[in-house]
Parts: sequence; structure tokens; C-alpha cells
Amino acid sequence: MSWSEIQPLLSEGFLDTLYMVGWSTLIALLGGLPIGVLLVLTDKGGLLQNGPVNKVVGAIVNVGRSLPFIILLIALIPFTRFVVGSFIGPTAAIVPLAIGAIPFFARLVETAVREVDRGLVEAVQAMGGSTSTVVFKVLLPQALPSLIAGLTTTVIVLIGYSAMAGTVGGGGLGSVAVQYGYQRFETSVMVATVVALIVLVTAVQIIGDAVVRGLAGHRGAGAGAAGKRLARFGRGRTVAVAAAVVVPLALIGYGLGSGGDDKQTLKIAASPTPHAEILEYVEKNLAEKEGLKLDIRKFNDYVVPNTATESGEVDANFFQHKPYLDDFNEKKNTHIVPVVNVELEPLALYSKKAHDLKELTAGKTVAVPNDSTNEGRALHLLADHDVIELKSGVGPEATLGDIADTKGLKFQELEAASVPRALDDVDAAVVNGNYAVDTGLDPHKDALVSEKVKGNPYANFLAVKDGDQDDPRIKKLAKLLNSEKVKKYIEDKYDGAIVPAFGSVGS
Amino acid sequence: MITTTDLTKVYRTRDREVTALDGVNLHVDKGEVFGVVGQSGAGKSSLIRCVNLLERPTSGTVSVDGQDLTALAGSGKRASRALREARGRIGMVFQHFNLLSSRTVLGNVELPLEILGHSGQERTRKAKELLDLVGLADKAKAHPAQLSGGQKQRVGIARALAGDPKVLLSDEATSALDPETTRSVLQLLRELNRQLGLTVLLITHEMDVVKAVCDSAALMKGGRITESGTVAELLATPGSELARELFPVGGAPSEPGRTVVDVTFHGETTTEPVISKLSRTYNVDISILGAAMDTVAGKQVGRMRIELPGSFDDNVVPIGFLREQGLTVDVAAVADAPVTDAPATDAPGTDAPGTDAPAGRGEALTEEDAK
Repeated sequence: MSWSEIQPLLSEGFLDTLYMVGWSTLIALLGGLPIGVLLVLTDKGGLLQNGPVNKVVGAIVNVGRSLPFIILLIALIPFTRFVVGSFIGPTAAIVPLAIGAIPFFARLVETAVREVDRGLVEAVQAMGGSTSTVVFKVLLPQALPSLIAGLTTTVIVLIGYSAMAGTVGGGGLGSVAVQYGYQRFETSVMVATVVALIVLVTAVQIIGDAVVRGLAGHRGAGAGAAGKRLARFGRGRTVAVAAAVVVPLALIGYGLGSGGDDKQTLKIAASPTPHAEILEYVEKNLAEKEGLKLDIRKFNDYVVPNTATESGEVDANFFQHKPYLDDFNEKKNTHIVPVVNVELEPLALYSKKAHDLKELTAGKTVAVPNDSTNEGRALHLLADHDVIELKSGVGPEATLGDIADTKGLKFQELEAASVPRALDDVDAAVVNGNYAVDTGLDPHKDALVSEKVKGNPYANFLAVKDGDQDDPRIKKLAKLLNSEKVKKYIEDKYDGAIVPAFGSVGS
Repeated sequence: MITTTDLTKVYRTRDREVTALDGVNLHVDKGEVFGVVGQSGAGKSSLIRCVNLLERPTSGTVSVDGQDLTALAGSGKRASRALREARGRIGMVFQHFNLLSSRTVLGNVELPLEILGHSGQERTRKAKELLDLVGLADKAKAHPAQLSGGQKQRVGIARALAGDPKVLLSDEATSALDPETTRSVLQLLRELNRQLGLTVLLITHEMDVVKAVCDSAALMKGGRITESGTVAELLATPGSELARELFPVGGAPSEPGRTVVDVTFHGETTTEPVISKLSRTYNVDISILGAAMDTVAGKQVGRMRIELPGSFDDNVVPIGFLREQGLTVDVAAVADAPVTDAPATDAPGTDAPGTDAPAGRGEALTEEDAK
């Protein structure tokens, strides 16, 4: 990708990251500070010594700290919806980010406050100071440099966490790196985003360190050169404090204005590629003439777009195929229906060693995707071309155990995105079309065999909640997605990795 | 001004109990500087912390300026409002100063005024006044890290005075300072005591501090007060360990067959030249082996070890003369045999009337020698 294409991705991701990290830092600060102080005060020998409270709060903090962030993200969905009214988008991502960071920051606060000399607390008590005087005039001001250092660490951890916000459509730099770098092999984008992340993290660290140094300058420094250093810090401190105030405000400020909610706008959840790209093509080139406005939300995850459609937070989604949807509707008791087929990402068998199916003889190894849908597709593709034989009556979700005759082949199961990378190490691999193109394979020339398009149940479609099929906006969008222009766009852009597969969805 | 009654403090840990205070009855008069001395672990620190209830006594009562603080404290772990107000009227200075590094010198002195609820201007005015009082007006804007130890303690004292206290508690305030700085800080405490009528209770492990500044003193051992009184009273108490520690005298007899006598001046005799009078009256040669003397308000206070020629029997009359002058006389020993200079074991007392163990560093004296 060229810089002109990367640049908007970067700047959007950057702003999303700042927005999410800025707000979640603020909330983590407001939440973690009192919890950390409470942990110190209620501890043995503390001003408010209280064993049970200390143990319970400590246990909650530990639970919060042990949960992997991605699990927290999903577990908090009902709470997030309750708080911000939706669980998707950057604003919603702030909730799990902040809740994940609160216990983290609370422990750092605890450590920082514990370092404060007990003699100072005693001195203020001897003056007749109350517990709140001790907290606000001694513990917090004395611990300030350590607190700022802890906050810096928290911001950096949050930048890391925010990479996972893509799961709930939060966007951000980390999610751009995952989408383009990992899933689409756009190394240039990945490098650019990683560099941007490094710059961001470094900047945060430098600002944090400067504030800490500025505050600590007149405190610890012994006599001797302290005077000279003080003069320098005097200026440095002003700058550092100004930066410490302005930067978070700037982080928070962005995004307040964004996200105007228009009733006429159709909100669609889509996977970043190719679904969102096709929708963006429609949005930019076709929608306006039809009086249609689209709000495209990108998701890396395959669960959230459906739950969001079911709950009405988005009007439609475009990322899945029939076997997946049927399974989802059954398991999650949702009522999502397909509207119109758009495209297919055909699976194909590739090899760097064999030029013909016949060369795949006994003892050779074939890599297949390891997720239930793609593995089933891959095995059916191989069975259709008599490379293997499946047991009779095996459904779409076939696994290695359903093979009746391997014909001497060995199988290596890998994550779908990693399969093309394994081509050098195995004799052949069944690769999804998009991953094939991303790694430079040409589905037309390089594939030994590929899935047929007609009647393929794995065509991806536009889907809505049952009852919304007749929404005029949906109808317009369905028509546009099946237009000649979109057909041409798909064929030109994806080189056979993705092919148009228009028409109604068979049952 | 400060009275503790049957004060006990027991620290309980999971597997044992430590009795830090074991029935302490302390009485500090208004306007005096009272020193509590003792080795570390004797319970001094617990005692001073119990006076303003930083530590809750296990039993017993504390009253300061006629107010029963133990009654104010209530039963909860947190300090009641009444107790906090009472603490505001008791100043306290600490061994390690306990100044906030996050504030300037002025800010540190303003802190207690903030707690007392003074307005901003009033605070600054008063804090500057206090800094002026301790001689640090020019350091108002400095941070504690830029001050020397002595200056820090002066800030600590200024801060302790912010609530116009009648009582100042000093917890080893000079123990982290060098001798010269110690002297100047003690002098400041003395001045404040006189100028403001401040009652000072200080704890220390240094006898010099008591000697330099205290009107009264108490000795703590194993959580109990074993001796207590004004310095003169202590000196007048035969066998007072504190008096001996305060005014240690040493010195070995110059040759065998001489009588060594410790003479204590407890401030009740005027500055008469007692020793030279003795010499002239009885025509004896007196050598002074060692002395620790101060002249306070025209009266001599301290102890002196002198040597008289001949055995004790030869010296009954001169010793009687000294007793007539109102001095306490302990016959330390008569050296019959040659004695080395090297210190040896403490001899546990003699059978001479009115004496206790030989004073100071134990000379090589035995009971046999004393006869």
C-alpha cells in the first residue's frame, strides 16, 4: 500500500487510540486512586485498619488483574451496554479498558502511597490532622512523583490493551496493525502502525518522566549541585506540568464531537476486508445518488456484529456465510436473516512443490485451517477432487476425524491466516482466497483446485434482524451491492481471491 | 501540666506480648523542661506517643493542661474530633524532622495552620512570624531538602509552635544532629521555654541533653520510671543512678594509702570555696581526681572526686566538715595497694556509710580495699 493509502488509516487509528486511551486513563485514575489509598489505609497498622475490607478489596483487585483483557472485554458487554447504551465503537471500548486498568493502577497507587514515610503521617496526626488531612495533604502530595510514574505505566498498558478494542469495533492503531499487518499481510501498514505506536509510547514515557523529574527535582536532591539543578527544573517543571495537563485533555477532547447519530443513516457492521471495503466503495460511489447514507463499523470479531444486529445497535451486517449464521442463530438464539449474497472468498489448494494433484502421494503433508468452518470447507474441497474420502453423510463442519481414507496424506492444522505462511514447510495447503492474495498467490494461476462459485454455501451476504428485510434502505443497499459496478469493483480489486457471488441466498 | 497515671502499653503480636510501658506515673510541672532518659527499648518513645495519644495506652490515663485526653479519645480506633483539637494544642518535634518534601519550608509551617482552619493570609503571616522566631525567615521559600539538619529541626520546631501550644513534646529531637547543632537547637528550646512559658517534655538517650536544658529528669528502664525529680533533687538522692550518669566522675588515686571521696554539690550550697577552705582548715593536701560541675544561678551543681592523704580513719574529721557544708560525701575507696589505671569490673558497693556503688567508670577497687 502506498503512503497516501496508509496515512488516513494511521491518522484515524491514532485519533481512535488517543480517544480511547485518554478517557480510560482518566477513569482509571479516578477509580484506581481511591482504591489504592483504601488498600493502604485499611491494611494492618493503617489509619483505618480493617482486615475484612482490605481482604475483600484486595481480592477484587487481584481478580481484575488476573483476567485476560480480551475476556474482560466480552464479559463486560452487558455492563458496557448499560453504561454507554451500546457495546460497540470506541466509546464502548473505553468501559472495558478503564475497568481493566483500574485494578492495575490501584496496585501502583498502593505501592506509591506505602512508600510515604510513616513519620510524616504521625507528624500530621500529632498536629490534630484527620484521616482525610493525612490523605490529601501528606500521602497524595508526597507520593505524587510515584503516582505520575504509575500513571505513565498505566497509559502505556492501556495503549497495548486498546489494540484489542478492534474486537468491539473500537478501532485504534493496534487494531489497524492486526487487521492489515497480521490478517492481510500488508507489511507496510503494519510497520507504519507499529512505528506510530512506538512514537506514541515513547512520547508518553518522555512526558511522564519529565513530570516525575520536575516534581522530584526539589525534593530528594541533596544539597551540593541542587541549586543549579533547581534552576533548570524550574523551567522544565512548568513545561512538564503543562504537558501533563494539556495532553490528556487533548486525548479526551477528540471524539466528543464525533459520532453524530442520524436516523436516516444505515449502520452496518462489517469485517474490515473485503466487506468494509466493498461497502466503502458503495458509500463513496453509489449510495449518494440513491439518497442512502452509510455508517460502516469495522469489526475483527465474528460474534459482536451479529449480537449488535440482534440488539439493534447496527441495522445490518456483512461478514458471514450461511453455515456460520445458521449455527450462530441456533446457539445464540438470535433471529438474523440473510438478505442478499455478495461475494465469495473461495478456498483453493496451493502448493510450491506440486504442479498437479497427482503429485500429492502418500506421505505428503497438507496444511488446512483449524477453525471448524474453514477446515470443513477445506476437507470438502479435497474430497470433491478425490484427494481424500470423507465418511458418508458428513456435514459442512467436517474434521480430520471424519476422513474415511486419507490416501496416505498427513494433515497439519493451522490458524487460517497462518496457513499460507506454511506453504514452504508443507507439500500443499488449503488457503482462503483473501489470505492467498495477501501473500502474493494468484488464485487463477497458482491454485491446483479451487471451490466452485455457483451454489457455494459459503458466499458472504448482507444480513439483518428478521423483520428488517423490507426496510427501504436495506433494499436499496442490497440492490447496489448486486450492481454491475460492484461486480467490476470486486473483480478488479481482488484478482480472484474474492469473487462476486450475487443473488438470493439459498436455504 | 502533664500527668500520666498508671500508664501501661502492651503490644500484642500473634505469638507474644511486649510490655512497653509498665505503670508509668509521670508528672511534668508547668513551665519546666522535663527530660526522660533511658536506653533504646526502655519505653521512652511509647511514653511520649502516649502523651498525645498517637499510641493508645492499654490502660491508665493521660492529662495535659488539666484535660483528660484518654477520656476524649473515645473507644474507636480513629481519633475523635475533640482529641484532634487537643492535639492541635500540643506541639511535637521528631528525631527525623518529618517535614513534607512536597512543600516549601513556609508550606510546612503553614500545614498545622491549615488544619486549624486559619485563612490563607493569616497562615502566611503567622508562619513567617514563626520562621522568624527560629531564625529561618530567609529560608521560607526553600525546600526541606536544601536545608541542613539543624535548620530542618528549626523548621520542625516552628511548625510545632503553630498552634500556640502550651506543651511541646520532643522525640529525640537532637539525636540525628551533630554536637554543635544539638547545642544550638537545645538553646532554642530553652529560649522558647523561657519566652513563651512553654512546658517541654523531651525524651533522649543523651545525658548531655538533659544536663544542658532540663530542669527535671526521669530515668526509664524496662517500661518503668526508676528515678524522677529536679536535677538538684536527683543529686541529693544518695546513690542516684541518674545523678551519676549526669555528672560522671572518674580518676584513680595517685598512690596507695590514700582516701578517695566523691562529693556531690546539689545546688543548695552557695559558691563558697569549700575545697580550699577544707585544705586551709585541716592543713591537708587535696588533689582533685575528676569533676563534673556546673554553676547554675550562682549555685554549684555537680560532682567531684577528690583524694585525701591517709586512710579513711585519718580523714574522718575533714569528711565530717564537708558533710557540715551540706554536701553529700561518698567514700569511694581507700587504695592500700598500687592500682593500675586500666578499668576493670564495677565493684558492687562499699560498706562505708551512705554510699552506693563506686561512681563512674569502675576503678580496680574491691570491698577489701574499701576497708
